[in-house]
Amino acid sequence: MDITSETHSQHISKQFNQELEELKTHLMAMGGLVEKQVQEAVTALLEGDSRLAERVRDNDNAVNDMQIKIDDECTRVLARRQPAASDLRLVLAVIRATSDLERIGDEASKIARNAMALAEAGNGSKGFIEVRHISEHVRKMVRDALTAFARFDIDLALEVVHEDEAVDSEYTTAMRSLMTFMMEDPRSITSVLSVMWILRALERIGDHANNLAEYVVYLVKGLDIRHTDPDELDDEAIKRRG
Amino acid sequence: MLAQPDTPAVNASRDAVIDIDPGASCLEIQGLSLAYAGTPALSDLTLRVPRHRVTAFIGPSGCGKSTLLRALNRLHDLNETVSRRGAIRLEGQEIHAPEVAVAELRRRVGMVFQTPNPFPMSIYENVAFGLRLQGGLRKRQRDEVVEWALRSAALWDEVKERLGDSAWSLSGGQQQRLVIARTLAVKPEVLLLDEPASALDPISTLKIEELIRSLKSQLTLVLVTHNMQQAARVSDYTAFLHDGELVEYAPTDALFTNPRLARTENYITGRMA
Amino acid sequence: MRRVRGEGPWAWLAAGSVALSLLLLVALLALLAGRGLAHFWPGELVQIELDDGSRFAARPGREERSAEGVERLYHTGNREWLGTPWRWVEVARIVEQRRPAELVIVERRRWGDFIGRVAGLEEDGVALDIDDEAARWTALDERLGRLARLREARDALRQQEVMPRVRALAAEQDVASRARLEDELAAANAEVLALQARMARDRVVLESVEGERLALPLEEVLALQRPNAMSLPAKLGAWGERAWRFLSEGPRAANTAGGVWPAIFGTVLLVLLMSLLVAPFGVLAAIYLNEIAHQGRLTRLVRISVRNLAGVPSIVYGVFGLGVFVYGIGGSLDEWFFSEQLPSPTFGTGGLLWASLTLALLTLPVVIVATEEGLARIPDHQREGALALGATRLETLRRVVVPMALPAMLTGMILAVARAAGEVAPLMLVGVAKLAPQVPVDGEFPFLHLERKFMHLGYHIFDVGFHSGDVEAALPLVYATALLLVMVILVLNLTAIFLRHHLKARHGALPR
Repeated sequence: MDITSETHSQHISKQFNQELEELKTHLMAMGGLVEKQVQEAVTALLEGDSRLAERVRDNDNAVNDMQIKIDDECTRVLARRQPAASDLRLVLAVIRATSDLERIGDEASKIARNAMALAEAGNGSKGFIEVRHISEHVRKMVRDALTAFARFDIDLALEVVHEDEAVDSEYTTAMRSLMTFMMEDPRSITSVLSVMWILRALERIGDHANNLAEYVVYLVKGLDIRHTDPDELDDEAIKRRG
Repeated sequence: MLAQPDTPAVNASRDAVIDIDPGASCLEIQGLSLAYAGTPALSDLTLRVPRHRVTAFIGPSGCGKSTLLRALNRLHDLNETVSRRGAIRLEGQEIHAPEVAVAELRRRVGMVFQTPNPFPMSIYENVAFGLRLQGGLRKRQRDEVVEWALRSAALWDEVKERLGDSAWSLSGGQQQRLVIARTLAVKPEVLLLDEPASALDPISTLKIEELIRSLKSQLTLVLVTHNMQQAARVSDYTAFLHDGELVEYAPTDALFTNPRLARTENYITGRMA
Repeated sequence: MRRVRGEGPWAWLAAGSVALSLLLLVALLALLAGRGLAHFWPGELVQIELDDGSRFAARPGREERSAEGVERLYHTGNREWLGTPWRWVEVARIVEQRRPAELVIVERRRWGDFIGRVAGLEEDGVALDIDDEAARWTALDERLGRLARLREARDALRQQEVMPRVRALAAEQDVASRARLEDELAAANAEVLALQARMARDRVVLESVEGERLALPLEEVLALQRPNAMSLPAKLGAWGERAWRFLSEGPRAANTAGGVWPAIFGTVLLVLLMSLLVAPFGVLAAIYLNEIAHQGRLTRLVRISVRNLAGVPSIVYGVFGLGVFVYGIGGSLDEWFFSEQLPSPTFGTGGLLWASLTLALLTLPVVIVATEEGLARIPDHQREGALALGATRLETLRRVVVPMALPAMLTGMILAVARAAGEVAPLMLVGVAKLAPQVPVDGEFPFLHLERKFMHLGYHIFDVGFHSGDVEAALPLVYATALLLVMVILVLNLTAIFLRHHLKARHGALPR
């Protein structure tokens, strides 16, 4: 059956409703924090702001703490409520989502560290256009995935899944042009390598956002579409499935 | 998650009621309707119970799951107010057919009740009760069957020193396993369990559940329970009944992670309908 | 005991009624035990001299206050001279009161008690020359012992030599054998007569304090006591002996003396027979009503009727028993099988069988109701458990249901026994006798004589208490008999309770 964001607040046990609601709220808070981390890391890079980069790196601890806290809550719900069906899927999706969000946080702090290195070296802004472009794309994916999670929006989630393909191709193109830079100007190899790391991190963030979107499909439809080629996904069939 | 046994061929179906392959099914219920003094208790039920599997019937009180279970070994015969329509077939044979003797049917389809009900006699005599009704066994053979049944019910080691004691001296959990042993002694093909652990403490409950799983290799089990976790723990297939109708019937894994219908979902997750 | 829960007058009222009931029960038992048991106590004898110079010896009894002053009742015995064994004396008229150790009270076969002195002994009509008091007592004891041995020998002779030959004679056809048997019988009878002659040799010479003398054959003496000379253990022994004789002997002197053995035997036998009759009928009826019958309006009606039958006054059952059993069935039986004895009835008059049947009918509702309740308490899943194993309804009933209901059936029997043992009214119509010293069981075929009349403790109380000429002598017997009746019912009930407990212990409590 289809479930909505209201589904989890109809239990006979009000306490249970509240616990599940808190899980979702805390996950959204963590998502918000992670999204901000990504955004600030990219800003620090583009504007050469090493202080901002430093703050992003230090904030990663907060993200880790939130993961542990939400996982604890999930464990408690599993142990005390033995949830079934959509409740079980919600808890599982939240556990998986925190893990992906934590990885996104890690990638953001990786970007911040590379941004610090680039700011210190102070030379050039080769590849920044690609970084800006891909980062905007990826941040939208993360935002959409979280929105889909919050609203149990299967259409939005499937959009994110397909978006990831676009990011992957953009990433391949960007890498190719950065290779060209390195061949043209061997002195820029160090800085371009850093940019390449950053692009790789952004691509990974896109993958994690894709995972988040897949969890939404699992949560709402009970379908596991991980490890399925997005091209082979029959969106209409998924949406129709009751 | 349970280790899913090699599933009997299930015809791929989008329907909320799965279709067990007739060759792999032991009991077949077709269009079964039942009423107590005119009040309908079951309406037009159709499902197949797979052989050598545990099938659980769940649903709220008064949904008809116990009524269905009792229909399977014709316990309703005693009640003149019960009217029935539809067919129940055991291994292809209609159990209400005139050539089927009810006593013989009940030996083939054993039943264990909610409250442990050992008879007022010794442990040994309880297990030998069904054998004595059949007659024809020498004492040696009977001893062997009693031991086998008690071992199958995982009770032998606890009672072998005191087979002559009253069955009522056993604990509740032991009594229930004794009742299962008593039923096993007549070598049934199907074992019906009507909330077999609802009167027991958690440890005894686990022992009964373990026993149910271990008996799967010998016979087909049908379990009625209020306890959804129990159904999830021990059964291979689960049928959800509501208001005398079969709402959803699916492999247990599927039913408890992703039920097809909102009525099922609401029941197993504890929501208001 | 725990503190009374809850405050207020209700708790006190409830507790108060319990206390009052207990008190009344205890008082009842104490009265019965006190009055009944004291009857057998060898109380002291006194010798009284009145202001007019007359003397008498007696056992003092109760006192009453009247307008003339305090009067005391004395048991004087010696009815043949005094006319009555009781005498009221104004205490003020007593000049002297002594307790001579040599005063004896003799319980005689006829004429009641004698109170006075032993003046001497006679053998074959010749007085023995023994002056010494102690030696006289030794000689008396010796002779009493010898008499007891002779009596025993005579009874054995009658039992073993005389009776078998009488019976054999009745059955024997052959003339030669008859002659031989008759000879042997004559020889045995002669032996008995010889023994009786020896028993009649000894006589004791008694003298009352007024100076009347009496030579009493020792054979007439049932007991001879010198209470004033007895030590406490001796008194206890004498008390036990009298109590035992009360239990083991038949009644004498129009039920005002002697024992109640036939009544005990009759009561117990009656109750046992009644149980044997009522148990199968009651249990089967209950099983039919609860397990087999269709639970419809008719069954309910039958059930209500049965319950109401329990409230019908017992005398009504007596009338029914008299009309149907005694006159109806008994009369027909007599016409068919005992016509040679008519017009004297065999079964056409009250007897043990009809009394048992009447009591069985009386207690049937109790047994049915108790058994039915026991059956109803057995959970349905017990029956279904047996059915689910392929048992038929009969097998289920026999192997599971009835064994589980046994304690309840016994409870029904306990209630039935308690009710039946205390019933007197219906028995008066269907077979109880004022005096039937022959118990209904003996060595004569068919050993159990169902047509005989019998004695009953309850009726015995009624008879002794209200129909005896000597009220003063009867009253202690009434108390003693009442106590005994309570005891008999208690023993019968305890037996059933023990049986029920034993059954319950075998299987523990009923699982719920």
